[in-house]
Amino acid sequence: MQSSIMIIDDERIVGDMAKLSLSQEGYDVETFLDGETALKRLQEKPFQVVVTDLKMKGVDGLEVLRTVKQLYPQTVVIMITAFANLDVAIEALRDDVFDFFPKPVKIKDLKASIRRALEGGEKAPQR
Amino acid sequence: MKIVHRICLSDLINISLLVVIGFFAIQSFDELLAKFRFTAIADGLNAAFLEMRIAEKNYLLYGDKEALNSISTRIADTLPTLSDEREQIEQVTGGTDYNRLVQLLADYRSNVRALIDGYGNEQRVRESGHALRTFSENLTKLERDKVAGIIEHSKAVLRHSFWAVIFFAFVFTQWNARSIRRSLRQVEQLTHAISRGDFSAAQEKPSADELGSIVQAISAMSEELNRREEEIVRSKRLASIGVLVAGVAHELNNPLNNISMIAQTFLELHDKLGSEQQLEFMTQIDEETERLRVTIRNLLDFSKPKDKEVELRHLNEVVQKCLGLVQNLLTIGNIKTKLALADDLPEFCIDEHQIQQVLVNMLINAIQSMPPGGILSVGTRVLPAQHAAEIEISDTGKGIPPELINHIFDPFFTTKDEGGTGLGLWVSYGIIKNHGGEIHVKSTVNQGTTFTVTLPTNLEKCGYAEQHHDH
Repeated sequence: MQSSIMIIDDERIVGDMAKLSLSQEGYDVETFLDGETALKRLQEKPFQVVVTDLKMKGVDGLEVLRTVKQLYPQTVVIMITAFANLDVAIEALRDDVFDFFPKPVKIKDLKASIRRALEGGEKAPQR
Repeated sequence: MKIVHRICLSDLINISLLVVIGFFAIQSFDELLAKFRFTAIADGLNAAFLEMRIAEKNYLLYGDKEALNSISTRIADTLPTLSDEREQIEQVTGGTDYNRLVQLLADYRSNVRALIDGYGNEQRVRESGHALRTFSENLTKLERDKVAGIIEHSKAVLRHSFWAVIFFAFVFTQWNARSIRRSLRQVEQLTHAISRGDFSAAQEKPSADELGSIVQAISAMSEELNRREEEIVRSKRLASIGVLVAGVAHELNNPLNNISMIAQTFLELHDKLGSEQQLEFMTQIDEETERLRVTIRNLLDFSKPKDKEVELRHLNEVVQKCLGLVQNLLTIGNIKTKLALADDLPEFCIDEHQIQQVLVNMLINAIQSMPPGGILSVGTRVLPAQHAAEIEISDTGKGIPPELINHIFDPFFTTKDEGGTGLGLWVSYGIIKNHGGEIHVKSTVNQGTTFTVTLPTNLEKCGYAEQHHDH
């Protein structure tokens, strides 16, 4: 079965590029510019992996994470953010997120992380 | 000298004065007591001597021999009294007068005895009786006079001592009060100096008196206050630098990430991309680079404002020009405008482009906060006393919640859902400060927000002397 991946980032280019690259691997990728629309879509269709930006207007990455963990515990959440100095917050999130990427993101690393998640592998070592 | 030492010294002087006075009074009373005892004894003796003289007269007039015996008996009675009271009498009159009195009484007795025995001389009896009584009476009178003298003297001494005590008490009280007042005044001056921010007096070497220790305490306090103030300022500055750096990192990281992701995707998929898609990638990179450039330029604008190019301008014209620039937005948003421009505005020495940037930014904020049908009010008002004017921009939009209002001038703070850089008001604040003006904001949620910009005319910056505008 084709794995479904959701990308949420208010920067359109992030979704566009991730979608182009991840589609090459045969994933079914959907992109969203805000948390609210993404959460609505989750009610309609299950996703194996959600890649979300942390800071967004309206429903932010934290709320997406909380909702996903509560309603879809099987779904893996990977967090990305342009804040490079959120060490404490990142530590707090570590139990709930599968992986964490500060921007600028290496697409190769993101792909590797998604692959590991889909194989039911271990979380990434602390960066 | 310490104030406490002065008070001790004046107390000591007053107490010793009182001790001396008390000692003198006791002395005087002792002396008076002795004199009174003496006069009591002397009165007794004088009475005895008088009776002797009366008996003597009876003998001389009537030849009554019994009278002579009576005199002899009285003398025999008086002699032991004299020797009994010898100490008292000598204390008052001295040994010489006592001996003279005893001698005179002895003479009188031997003369009276001689007369009784029949070989005496009446004349000698009379003379010795007279001498005895006169001496005794004179002695008594002298001592009575002395008593009066002692009382007079004591009265005078006590009166003078009274005034002396009053005088010293007054002088010392004044002296102490003056030095206390002087110290308090110095403390007052010192605290005023410190409250003006002048710490030099507190840092001088303190004197050794109470003022010195107060100065020391105050200077320690002011140093501590100074240190804490610096700490607060430093931590605030660090906090705002932290906010700024975090915001800068975030704002730079996003376009940087976009460029990086486009480049990575291009490297991975370049042979699969159509030429149109490749062109789109390059356009996006160019746009993201522009985004970075704008962010960096805004940052530089604030941290090191460009040199102002000031010229004399009519504020109302600048406001009208700005409204013209946002006319399109007003039409699209179906916003009505209310203008209340003062017609007596003086000319202002401003950098028109910078002020225009501020006003356009505020106008856009106001328009974007309002639903269709909102009302934008723009007014100008003269503040003649400050050689300044106010520009007021009000909207009937969603307002700013009280918990956010303190952050609206922070860098990268925005309440806009999309497209806000969070730098507009931050840069505006810098521009207005740079013009010597102020920005104030009032807001009620769901009723609207009012921004007030106060600008000084700054005529001297354009080479004009500051003028007073009377209207």
